[in-house]
Amino acid sequence: MPEVPPLEAELQLATRGSEMKLEAELPPGTRESRGTRLARAVLGPQPIGLAFGAPYGLFIAALFAYPLGLAVWISFHSYFFTAPGVSVARPFVGLANYEAVLTDPEVLRSFLNILIFLVINVPLTVGLSLLLATALNAAIPFRALFRACFYVPYVTASVAMVAVWLFMFNTGGVVDSVLGPLAPVPSWLVNQNWAMPSIAIYVTWKQLGFFILLYLAALQNVPKELYEAASIDGASWWHKLWSVTVPGVRTVTTLITLLAIIVGANLFTEPYLLTAGGGPNGTSASPVLLMYQIGIEQNHPDFASALGVILVIGVLLIVGVQRLLQRNQT
Amino acid sequence: MKLRAIVVGALTLSMGLAACGSGAAPSSTKGATLSYGPISIWYSNNAEEITWGEQEVAAWNSLHPTQKVTGQQIPASQSSEEVISAAITAGSEPCLIYNTAPAAVPDFEQAGGLVPLNDFPGAVSYIQTRTGPLASMYKSPDGQYYQMPWKSNPVVIFYNKTEFAKAGISTTNPPLSTYSEFLATAQKLVSSGAAKYAIYPSPSSEFYESWYDFYPLYAAESGGKLLVENGKATFDSPAGQAVAAFWAQLYKENLAGTATVTGDTFADGTAAMAIVGPWAIADYQGKEGSPAVDYGVAPLPTSKGNTSYTIPTFSDAKNIGMYASCKNRGTAWDFLKFTTSASADGKLLTLTGQMPMRQGLQKAYASYFTANPDYTDFAVESAHVIECPNVPNSIQVWQDFRDDWSKSVIFGTSSPNAALASAASAINKLVSSSSSLP
Amino acid sequence: MTQTGTTADEVAVAPDDVTSVEPPTSRSWWRLIVLGIGALVFVFPFYYMIIGSLQKNQNTSLSGIVPQPGNITLRNYGEINAALNLGKTLINSGIFTGGVLLATVVFGVLAGYALAQLRFRGRGLLFVMMLLLLMVPFQLLIIPLYVLIVRYYGLGDSYLGMIAPFAINSTAVFIFRQYFLQLPKELFDAARIDGANELRILTRIALPLVRPALLTAMLLTFIGPWNEYLWPFLITKQQSMQPLAVALANYMNTVQSTVSNPFGTILAGAVVLAVPAVALFLAFQRYFVAPNIGSAVKG
Repeated sequence: MPEVPPLEAELQLATRGSEMKLEAELPPGTRESRGTRLARAVLGPQPIGLAFGAPYGLFIAALFAYPLGLAVWISFHSYFFTAPGVSVARPFVGLANYEAVLTDPEVLRSFLNILIFLVINVPLTVGLSLLLATALNAAIPFRALFRACFYVPYVTASVAMVAVWLFMFNTGGVVDSVLGPLAPVPSWLVNQNWAMPSIAIYVTWKQLGFFILLYLAALQNVPKELYEAASIDGASWWHKLWSVTVPGVRTVTTLITLLAIIVGANLFTEPYLLTAGGGPNGTSASPVLLMYQIGIEQNHPDFASALGVILVIGVLLIVGVQRLLQRNQT
Repeated sequence: MKLRAIVVGALTLSMGLAACGSGAAPSSTKGATLSYGPISIWYSNNAEEITWGEQEVAAWNSLHPTQKVTGQQIPASQSSEEVISAAITAGSEPCLIYNTAPAAVPDFEQAGGLVPLNDFPGAVSYIQTRTGPLASMYKSPDGQYYQMPWKSNPVVIFYNKTEFAKAGISTTNPPLSTYSEFLATAQKLVSSGAAKYAIYPSPSSEFYESWYDFYPLYAAESGGKLLVENGKATFDSPAGQAVAAFWAQLYKENLAGTATVTGDTFADGTAAMAIVGPWAIADYQGKEGSPAVDYGVAPLPTSKGNTSYTIPTFSDAKNIGMYASCKNRGTAWDFLKFTTSASADGKLLTLTGQMPMRQGLQKAYASYFTANPDYTDFAVESAHVIECPNVPNSIQVWQDFRDDWSKSVIFGTSSPNAALASAASAINKLVSSSSSLP
Repeated sequence: MTQTGTTADEVAVAPDDVTSVEPPTSRSWWRLIVLGIGALVFVFPFYYMIIGSLQKNQNTSLSGIVPQPGNITLRNYGEINAALNLGKTLINSGIFTGGVLLATVVFGVLAGYALAQLRFRGRGLLFVMMLLLLMVPFQLLIIPLYVLIVRYYGLGDSYLGMIAPFAINSTAVFIFRQYFLQLPKELFDAARIDGANELRILTRIALPLVRPALLTAMLLTFIGPWNEYLWPFLITKQQSMQPLAVALANYMNTVQSTVSNPFGTILAGAVVLAVPAVALFLAFQRYFVAPNIGSAVKG
């Protein structure tokens, strides 16, 4: 099977080289009329691709690009929702909304909360999923059963899992009963210091199955010979882990880190349901939760859109930095 | 690649530039002929109110088959304001909502979502005759009524007689009239083990939670001042500071809980007292697995001492709004009058125990109050209630207040007086910034 | 060190992804322990969810972990059904998810194939837009999308309005594209010389070759709408239109103290919400395996 080119190369190919290659793509020996040749010259060798891609393209344009543009537009104006047919002045206010967002203590606290979340979630996710994937990567009894156990939380609705989690970690719930005097007072989800870490642990638990599977796939591609060579050299399993496994799955580690960061930055359902809004003293508010509260509940979509744009820029920056680091390493 | 990105970005932005709705006249009905026909309404999800609502709708429908009313519960959510707000934006809200919070009216008004009731002939005199002098609190800054005052739930102190007896406190005349008495009683309740907490208002940070801890006591302590009067915050004052100090003490000594819990802490006995209105009595009747609460009612304390039910308190009113998407406004207005008539108000009182905002309650429904003498106290209080101020950005005002209150009074991370001052300055800015409705 | 555990022959037995494993050693026991603990931690909340939903009176102590004979009842399921009308909400969830699956299968496959194997003007643009969509959080778009769909298109409280923003799952398009890219170009060129049109090539040649991947992408696409909360919550204000995830979340927020075991009732709803997705995955789990996902997200 031909190797799938990495994303970077694909991107360049698709954007820079595609036009030049249009003519050369036809298989030799094709005969066609002048009209068709003209069409091909303008639209490409397989113009039906336009038709294939059109529904998706329309979907993106109407339901993504337009709202995105609108959100950006709103962030630069003073805007609130009105009933249909009511006209109201919506003056351009430049960067005023952005300024308000970046100086709002609640917003800053929410960014801090996300940082706390990422610091707990990402290393735990990477570490645990690699550990469990390594453990799964052998022909052991009940292998399929173990695998199923791990991804079942991933495929279940967050709403359902939150219900159980609330039940377990409530004041006087089973976790508190088990821990007895060791349980934090007040209980986990209503405790200022434990609210966000509780959410981080919950999300780690819920998503781990997917990442375990990713690592499992990556582990397949680590050549057996490397392990055998290390064994011959007398390396311990710990040494093998760090010198063979970890470097071997580096691409997937990067991917998983990226995905975990994107998920963490866009956290909404868990703070909304697990800690009923912003949590005790705003310690588990996430930026997206604030966007919802301020944009929709309090009817200040201008502030919320500015916050959203800042969030997206932040995520793009992190992704960009990740890619840069990756490119420097390879 | 860079060029592509720029093209993509430009395309995206340009697509967004066709923004905001096209202009048309706002929702005034004045001068236009009223139309009649089917309408839809929402009522709250309180069980007793649903019963009342269904009865009224059925009664109307049998009398007016060509102007059928369809009623449904307000869609469930963490707050009804967000549901209504979203519906206004979509243009999908019903004609009448029997669950319009006065604090939300300025925001709905600003969005052009409410119909001014002054448009209807005889409306102003109808409202003022029914509700009396209290009606002026529900006027908007432009002098019109964008809501019909409907019912109130004057907030008082409920106490658990069983737990008070267990702590050795009098159940007929408990010492709750001054702040120091109240605190002493609270300490006794908890230290004797009679109850886990003395009182447990919800510590969560929704904008409306201050209506059930700070605002009623502030009303009593300040002699009936609203949060904001004449465009200025009033609570950065000795009265406000006294109330804040009182609650801060309760939280500091763990007499009131700082963790949000599900369920009613008074109904299940976790807290020996509650600060709430008569709507909650239905929850205290007990159900399978938990006994009824033998409750007593006491007036709000003040720093100097208070034992009467004529002291101002928070109304916790819910009113009726007519919304902009309503087509058959004639029917809506008639149905509004139908459901606020003397007999409809009487049914509301009997079914729910909440106080219709009608002057002369005790005289009008003497038989009810004879049969339910406990409710007389609520009737007396209902003539002395104060409301949330009708100011621009009202919800954000309450949210800002709540945030400062939470940090300082509930969680003790800053000084209450400083928090009150900072809230006052932020709120002053908020109520003066917005332009009034066109 | 004696070799306990499996021999090389036994390693080859499992037809799925055990192709490159560490040499079997006596470390199999540590794997089992680690996996056992892990599996226990992962599955315990499910078990507890079921137990909790069957409790007559809420029992949150340690003894409540095992089912107590005197405390078992199915009443919570009856109560949640009375509160939420499980049948209708499940149907709403089903229609929502089904609509998304249908749109993704039809239009997503077309787009993925076009992006992978066809050369046409605008291909690069489409690809970049798809990547951007994958990165932007949905919540940024929620506000303008809400206004757009409910006010301008008038699709509030409708299935179409629910489905619209999720109609074509971009992750699925990405996966389709990756799989189609793996097919050799010569295959298609040969077919084109033979005069087949592109649609034929797609349906007769390309699709059958990537069928397992198709199923994988479908399974992944299923999760989104079935579990989605915020968007259907915004769009549907009438209770009769709400999917189960929304109805259950609302119930959690406004639970009246009128039911005797509020948490038990909520957990009963959670079980009903979780069971279809879990059952689906357990049934199709052999497609949800490593090579399919791994090669899809490589690079």
